[in-house]
Amino acid sequence: MSIKKREKTDWVLKQLFKATGLVTIGLLGGIFIMLIYNSIAFFANISPIDFFTGAQWDPGSAKGNYSILPLLASTGLVALGSMLIAVPLGIFTAAFLSEFAPSKLQAVLKPIIEMLAAIPSVAIGFLGIVLVGPGIAKIFGIQNGLNALNGSILLAVMALPTIVTISEDAINAVPKSYREASLALGANKWETLFKVTLPAALPGLIAAVMLGLGRALGETMTVLMATGNASAIPRGFLDSVRTITATIAIEMGEVPYRTTHYFALFAIAAVLFLITLSINLLGEFFANRLRKFHA
Amino acid sequence: MKYFFYSLLVLLFSCSQDNKTIKLKGSDTEVNLAVQLAESFHGINDDVFVSISGGGSGLGIASLLNGTADLANSSRSINDKEIELFQKSGIPIDSFIFGQDAIAFVVAEDLLIDSISITELSGILSGEFSNWSSLSLKNLPINIYGRQSNSGTHDFVKKKLGIDFSLYAKEMNGNAQILEAIKADNSGIGYVGAGYVTHGGSKGIKVLPVYLEKNQQAISPLDAQMIAAGKYFFQRPLFQYYMASSYQKIKPFLDFEKSEAGQKIIQSAGYYPVK
Amino acid sequence: MKKKTRSFFNWILLAGSTIIVCLFLGIILFDIFSKGLSSITWNFISALPSDGMTKGGIFPAIIGTILLTFITTLFAVPFGVACAVYLNEYARPSVLTNIIRASIRNLAGIPSIIYGLFGLALFVQAFKLGTSVLSAGLTLGLLSLPYIITTTEEALKRIPNSMREATLALGATQFETIKDVVLPKALPGILTGVILTLSRAAGETAPILFTGVAFYINGLSTSINQEFMALPYHLYMLSTQHQSIEQVRPLAYGTASVLILLVFMFNIIAFYIRFKHRSQD
Repeated sequence: MSIKKREKTDWVLKQLFKATGLVTIGLLGGIFIMLIYNSIAFFANISPIDFFTGAQWDPGSAKGNYSILPLLASTGLVALGSMLIAVPLGIFTAAFLSEFAPSKLQAVLKPIIEMLAAIPSVAIGFLGIVLVGPGIAKIFGIQNGLNALNGSILLAVMALPTIVTISEDAINAVPKSYREASLALGANKWETLFKVTLPAALPGLIAAVMLGLGRALGETMTVLMATGNASAIPRGFLDSVRTITATIAIEMGEVPYRTTHYFALFAIAAVLFLITLSINLLGEFFANRLRKFHA
Repeated sequence: MKYFFYSLLVLLFSCSQDNKTIKLKGSDTEVNLAVQLAESFHGINDDVFVSISGGGSGLGIASLLNGTADLANSSRSINDKEIELFQKSGIPIDSFIFGQDAIAFVVAEDLLIDSISITELSGILSGEFSNWSSLSLKNLPINIYGRQSNSGTHDFVKKKLGIDFSLYAKEMNGNAQILEAIKADNSGIGYVGAGYVTHGGSKGIKVLPVYLEKNQQAISPLDAQMIAAGKYFFQRPLFQYYMASSYQKIKPFLDFEKSEAGQKIIQSAGYYPVK
Repeated sequence: MKKKTRSFFNWILLAGSTIIVCLFLGIILFDIFSKGLSSITWNFISALPSDGMTKGGIFPAIIGTILLTFITTLFAVPFGVACAVYLNEYARPSVLTNIIRASIRNLAGIPSIIYGLFGLALFVQAFKLGTSVLSAGLTLGLLSLPYIITTTEEALKRIPNSMREATLALGATQFETIKDVVLPKALPGILTGVILTLSRAAGETAPILFTGVAFYINGLSTSINQEFMALPYHLYMLSTQHQSIEQVRPLAYGTASVLILLVFMFNIIAFYIRFKHRSQD
């Protein structure tokens, strides 16, 4: 091949590679535009005030109640519960892994956490039905264990690998000199961990929690299977709840295209998208702060 | 690279295959029956595939409208809103009734109640009564296990009683989950297609016969004679809707449902034949 | 003494948390495998479902998942690798590069059900592919894209610059350098990332819900413009939708076991490649 031809190939392929990069922007833009476009179609029929302040999600009723509040409350409740469980467990596990576990133990624990991350969400939801649900019913003396608590426990399991891995990176990123200085001043290893290392890693820990939260908010199958799907505003963790994701999963197949109900599902998806996006951006902001801090 | 092209070729070949799959979607009540019919149908006619999905009658009709189904199972008749949508999109449709179903109201076996009236049911399901004490001797809160709004059964019960369901009714993913919940919950009440009770094992639950007014006979949804006479309050035809234009494609399957073998399967699954 | 109890308490806190996390995995695997492995027989793997899905096997669901993953691979891998090559080999730091990177990070954070909606709007409706393996595979491909890009880029980063410079100095064009030197050298790393991503995609359910998965198909259809059965959805269906839910519990456990074994198999292959590659270096 002549040099000219080779260079031409090189140029063409470079543009081709560049195009794939642009496709990723297009994909994010496309998803965003799809959600916004359909949401606008929805708000042409239903006023945003009803959407954000009403008390009922009941598209089947004659009047057609489209309020996102019960769904938001459900999503928030389940995610909050999962974080209450997963954040302490995750951060302590990460601290144990990076500060105390001998390297041989680390070599065993890390794959365990990766395996936990690999288990499909539908299998975890299945356990919510056959194992966690009956367990909750027994412990609390209630009839049915398909409720917010069940969803929270399962989502905690699913968010844990994310939280542990990122927290561990954050703790490892704290310079050794910090610890050495603290120990040299007479602090013991616990004081060093809780008063020096963890605070120094804080931005990274927040990033870990944010990404874990993003995962919990966006999870579909587990909550669809394990939370009972009642669409009233929940009064507590033992109530059945119905998250935004589960609502989309249940109702999307049923709606005729381009009807108010169809657009409504895109509108709640848009709200979910904006929430997860801002949480991820927040997480990224904190992760960057950690990087700058230690650079 | 070579392998990549080979795989593309394989894909292209499979693309060019004949379009011989009937997509059947809809009613969760009918889905298991449809699975059994399709299974036997495969033994007779193995060059036509039937792919089946449940999810509810609304889903079936919507899929038909959206062009993602050829045949929609529905346990309710198509409503005005849907008719309007079909007219708007210019899709002429036809329907076919292949069997009958009765809705069974189920409670736990040890609940002290043997039959129930229509008014009592309305009170319970709308959330007006929240405790069993007025109906049975037990002082227990009532837990309602229902279906999601896309379910034809949900819709049918709601219309037949003329109520709106209590917001605290749990919306289960399917009939099976309702039975499961009732078995575990001695204060629960739920509704399922009768086929689920006869076919799915009725351990731990009981079916409540229903009566219209005091002094009238309570009729069980499992009573074939009464169903044949059209006497049960919650009995309904099982519909299949399809686009008029795709009749030729689905005809073999409809023929099979009408055949003796097909009707036999329908009966053994706990449903009732069309009179 | 007080200090000692406190230290003991702290130790319990950290080690206890770790043990609980490990226990989660232990419980999941124990419950599923103890009740599921006994259902896995040759017949279960190789037969069609029968008797209204209360008996028989899950063969169509296995084939469906394999076919689906295959389509995802064909679509997402070339795209993802090309994008990673652009980012790592060609792109200079610029606003555009930053936007591309930010897009990729945000794509990775989008809930999978929203990919399902996008797949429905784009492939099923706009491209008129209908509900089919093709639509579902492409949807999963979109979902996998950011992960493939990120892991591939990491693999490319590990290739020392000196290798690129040496090849370029010999007169090769940049593309030739990438094709003949960088990619072959980075292959094990890329493969590891791709396989891990695919194992995730194979276990996903939400994105295929509206794009083509079916409850049951009465035979083995391998045509890509038709609906399909898939292992994760089959498990969902058996555990929530089936009429004889208790009777099919063993089948559900069996399906869950097969699904998890499949995913672990992917992971083990990935770890093996990573391990072998590292020990070669």
